[in-house]
Amino acid sequence: MKAFEIQTYQDGKWRINSIFDDRELALFEARRVDESSRYSGVRVIEELFDEINSKTSTKTIFRGGRAADLRTAREPDTKKKAATNKPVRGAANRSGSRRTAGRRPPSKKKTSMVGPVILLFLVIVLGGAAMFGLQYFGALR
Amino acid sequence: MEKVPENVTREVVGDDLPQGMERRLVHRLLAYWRGLQIEDEFPSFAAIDPQEIPDIWGNTFVLEVVENESDPVFRALGDDIAGHYNVSLIGRHISEVPESSLVSVSVGYLDEVLKKGVPISRGGDFIKDDGTEVLYRSILLPMSDDGETISGILGAANCREVEPE
Repeated sequence: MKAFEIQTYQDGKWRINSIFDDRELALFEARRVDESSRYSGVRVIEELFDEINSKTSTKTIFRGGRAADLRTAREPDTKKKAATNKPVRGAANRSGSRRTAGRRPPSKKKTSMVGPVILLFLVIVLGGAAMFGLQYFGALR
Repeated sequence: MEKVPENVTREVVGDDLPQGMERRLVHRLLAYWRGLQIEDEFPSFAAIDPQEIPDIWGNTFVLEVVENESDPVFRALGDDIAGHYNVSLIGRHISEVPESSLVSVSVGYLDEVLKKGVPISRGGDFIKDDGTEVLYRSILLPMSDDGETISGILGAANCREVEPE
């Protein structure tokens, strides 16, 4: 038995958005959700339930544009379903801030000192040469 | 008991949707449902305007869940859905719907929708009482009066008979 879960990234975790039993339906809907730019990430998880062994295997078959940025840090979520189980009554608030969580922090680059040292050296050499030139041509007059 | 209305294949949808009227029904209603959402809250029945989805309204039905969690009650049925039955389902519990019919198979995963609180679409086939094989697709969408608690379900379904070989 197959199921295709559209998951959206909200408040720092993946949540189930909708569920289909049809791959084309799920992929089309996922693209539409992704294009809406409503969520910081969209992906489709294909779940295959082996009734003989009672085991469920999952794989990601779609990642939205920004979902790809979340891939490295969030990959373990594909092994286990994100839960949004909501009771019929008295459920938790679904609303919350979006587009803020899960962004990859900017990478820090090491600053090299070679460039500034060479630049300083050139300034000193050229400055000295200029001063020498002024004195030399001044003496010729 | 079930009969397929002559207009069961009626459809007016955009060209950008996937092929197959069953899939287009699901996408049309799901897109409408998402359009009614405020933030990520469940939409309200009061926000639904049938005139905004005239092409699919006939395939929809409404279930009341509050105080009927274990056996919801039909509060509305589109003409195309109602046309599958000789008696009105309005006011009846889902347990009263004849088995092996479009609505009975379409609400077969209702518990999962109530448990997970997300739209779910399923399809499949069933055999009518007269032996005809029917392919169907349905979708169930959680609705709410307060945006938080599921108070009802907006559903839709359509089907087509399989030509005998």
